[in-house]
Amino acid sequence: MSDLDRWIEQLKRCEALKESEVKELCERALDILVEESNVQRVDAPITICGDIHGQFYDLMELFKVGGDCPQTNYLFMGDFVDRGFYSVETFLLLLALKVRYPDRITLIRGNHESRQITQVYGFYDECLRKYGSANVWRYCTDIFDYLSLSALIDQRMFCVHGGLSPTVKSLNEIRVIDRKQEVPHDGAMCDLLWSDPEDIEGWGLSPRGAGYLFGGDICTQFNQDNKVEVVARAHQLVMEGYKWMFGQQLVTVWSAPNYCYRCGNVAAILELDGALNKNFKVFEAAPQDARGIPTKTAAPDYFL
Amino acid sequence: MNSTPDDNGDESLYPIAVLIDELKNEDVALRLNSVKRLSTIALALGEERTRKELIPFLNDSSEDEDEVLLAMAEELGRFVPYVGGPNHAHELLVPLESLCCTEETVVRDKAVESMSKVGQDLPESSVAESFIPLVKRLATGEWFTSRVSACGLFASAYRRAGSTQRADLRAMYRDLCADDTPMVRRSAASNLGKFAEVVEPEMINKELIPQFQNLTVDEQDSVRLLTVDGCGPLARLLPKDDAVRSILPIVQNFSQDKSWRVRYNVAQQLCQMCDALGPEVSRRELVPAFVRLLRDSEAEVRVAAAGKVSVFCKQLANDQVMQAVLPCVKELSSDSSQYVRAALAAVVMELAPVLGKAATIDSLLPVFLSLLKDEFPDVRLNIISKLDQVNQVIGIDLLAQSLLPAIEELAEDKHWRVRLAIIEYIPLLASQLGADFFEEKLGPQCMRWLQDSVYSIREAATRNLMKLAQEFGPEWARDHLVPPVLGMVNNPHYLYRMTVLVAIASLAPVVSHDVLCATMLPVVVSCSKDKVPNIKFNVAKMLEKLVPLVDASVVERTIKPCLLELHEDADVDVRFFAHQALSSCDAVTAA
Repeated sequence: MSDLDRWIEQLKRCEALKESEVKELCERALDILVEESNVQRVDAPITICGDIHGQFYDLMELFKVGGDCPQTNYLFMGDFVDRGFYSVETFLLLLALKVRYPDRITLIRGNHESRQITQVYGFYDECLRKYGSANVWRYCTDIFDYLSLSALIDQRMFCVHGGLSPTVKSLNEIRVIDRKQEVPHDGAMCDLLWSDPEDIEGWGLSPRGAGYLFGGDICTQFNQDNKVEVVARAHQLVMEGYKWMFGQQLVTVWSAPNYCYRCGNVAAILELDGALNKNFKVFEAAPQDARGIPTKTAAPDYFL
Repeated sequence: MNSTPDDNGDESLYPIAVLIDELKNEDVALRLNSVKRLSTIALALGEERTRKELIPFLNDSSEDEDEVLLAMAEELGRFVPYVGGPNHAHELLVPLESLCCTEETVVRDKAVESMSKVGQDLPESSVAESFIPLVKRLATGEWFTSRVSACGLFASAYRRAGSTQRADLRAMYRDLCADDTPMVRRSAASNLGKFAEVVEPEMINKELIPQFQNLTVDEQDSVRLLTVDGCGPLARLLPKDDAVRSILPIVQNFSQDKSWRVRYNVAQQLCQMCDALGPEVSRRELVPAFVRLLRDSEAEVRVAAAGKVSVFCKQLANDQVMQAVLPCVKELSSDSSQYVRAALAAVVMELAPVLGKAATIDSLLPVFLSLLKDEFPDVRLNIISKLDQVNQVIGIDLLAQSLLPAIEELAEDKHWRVRLAIIEYIPLLASQLGADFFEEKLGPQCMRWLQDSVYSIREAATRNLMKLAQEFGPEWARDHLVPPVLGMVNNPHYLYRMTVLVAIASLAPVVSHDVLCATMLPVVVSCSKDKVPNIKFNVAKMLEKLVPLVDASVVERTIKPCLLELHEDADVDVRFFAHQALSSCDAVTAA
């Protein structure tokens, strides 16, 4: 069994890798991700997933419902880390799967895959707690810079974490972005990761302080200009796991059930068959007995 | 303490010197690490320096972080050999005494535990000179923490004490039971049972029971709550008549306490009390209390009581279960709280052996059926996972007749874990129902599960097929399982085509060689032309599994050519798994 297969087995048991192993994994991931386009081309059949946010056992539940990788093809639309208890294990598992099966799983960047955000919402603290230093956080955030910004399934479905940008009329304008950097505070790259659809006309200010709100007319225009049928995105909690908008021109997919272990929402994944027929699979949080002992064994805070 | 290596410059002591240095380090992680290895340090220092340098140092360290103090309290419990054996063990009492007075409960509890251990090793002289006075000092300490700790030390002190001191100690415990601070009374209440075990039997009735009775009517419900725990141990220590006279009324009162937390605890402990008071008294006196708890106004209490239904009923006569408990069970099966119903569902099946066949059919089956249709999935799951216990009592025929409709319904339950539980129950059901009846009732469902929308169900369904084939034999599998499975191979969705491959692989070892090669293998090979790479690499994986099951000629003629073609595929994963399968072909051929 190769190192990589062994790491995957270990991560599936929610056991983190050694610091030196994380370093090696990230180096190997870089070689693969650097080759990917800002609008990564992917083929159906594929299963599309939204935010995970470090909810490792709920990611296991997702695989129980959707099938294991590589049997099932997956596209994860970002926000792998922050908020949940197991951002380290969650992201490293997805990254290890990416390195092992680059054609079976696609990872694109979410707004939480950023140095600034992870220092506020938990991933940085978790790395420090689990490894005693910020090295692992540094390796991971360096890899975030290489994650693709969007995906295009069979030329028909555009997938992005947040939404559209007033400075992006055509997909080609995304393709020319230099993405290998921290998520900027404004501009096309920022908007793709931060924007939200809203029942308005045209563009609106986002209450998030980054990205924009965009209306159905904007989405229609974008889809027409780029000859895509649907925009699939994540980024916003929807209690039913998925939500259609703008007359089925845009869909939000959310894959963190009982978000933050308290929201009471269900989660969904979107299964596309070879002809892009859509099938949503709704699932609930993993039951208590399918979860490991929570973080009680972790060192107390003052070890930091 | 001097931590530099010895004058002789022995390098082997260097790690110890580091540990000693780190005892004083500013970094709490390093101090903690050092304290956890206190015995190593003591061993290296030797007994005398441990007494003269290490222990005094620890005496000055009682202001450290709780985490460090906890580790220290634990280490000191094992320290008697390191200070020079029992004759010097009293030196350990000093640091432990200050740990017994800390603010943090876990530190105090650990210190009390260690102190009790050390106390048992002390020689007579130290007991009288150091240990007993220490316990008395703690018991009369000004701050409540020391008095709380003292309560936990009385049992081990009393065991070692002489008769005059014993009288003193009993008097002091009485004061602690009446302490002004509820925290102290709580500790006195929860340690009373342990203390009673070492007190002379005649003194229990004379002195301890009155204190116990006072605690049972304490104004604080948190005190009464802990007093409940003492009922069982005290009842066991008393002669039967005394127990019935003094403890039974207390239990009965507790079961009607105004605080639900107290009643909850009674429900949790009632079975232990039954054990202590004996079956006759339980049957006569405790059934009304139990029934009251089952009908309690507070759902939490009903949850606790419902969970004890089967254990409690094992102590009762059959007619008593029928008359007193069963009506409550029926009520609980439609309780307004889902947690009560789930608790009942987890144990109610265990009543079947207690009641016997006729009563189970008449009275319990309707309860099972209603719980099987409960809207809360945990309730349904709890019933399904215990079905075999009913099976043993009423027999499969009747179970099948009355429960099959419910099972058929649950087979399509909207929660996939309920469906999974049903699938796992299917092989057992199959063995009891026989091939024909099974095929008629559940055969089609087993095929539908292969096309379930949830991956785990499809996977379980393939395992189920193998178990069915093992149960009913290769011919039956050939006629009833293979054709419908192969028929699904043209499903437009790749995930369902994949399930067919997995199903073929799990049936392969249990069907005849002929069926495998003539009908199943061609289907696998045809899938190697699929347009989805995932199917193609699964073909390679499945072929690898078939290699050991078929003749070498089939490997050469059919399997290898197919794998060689996949080995040239455009997709890297297909090539990888084809390569892996080819290697194991070669391994088999070589062997």
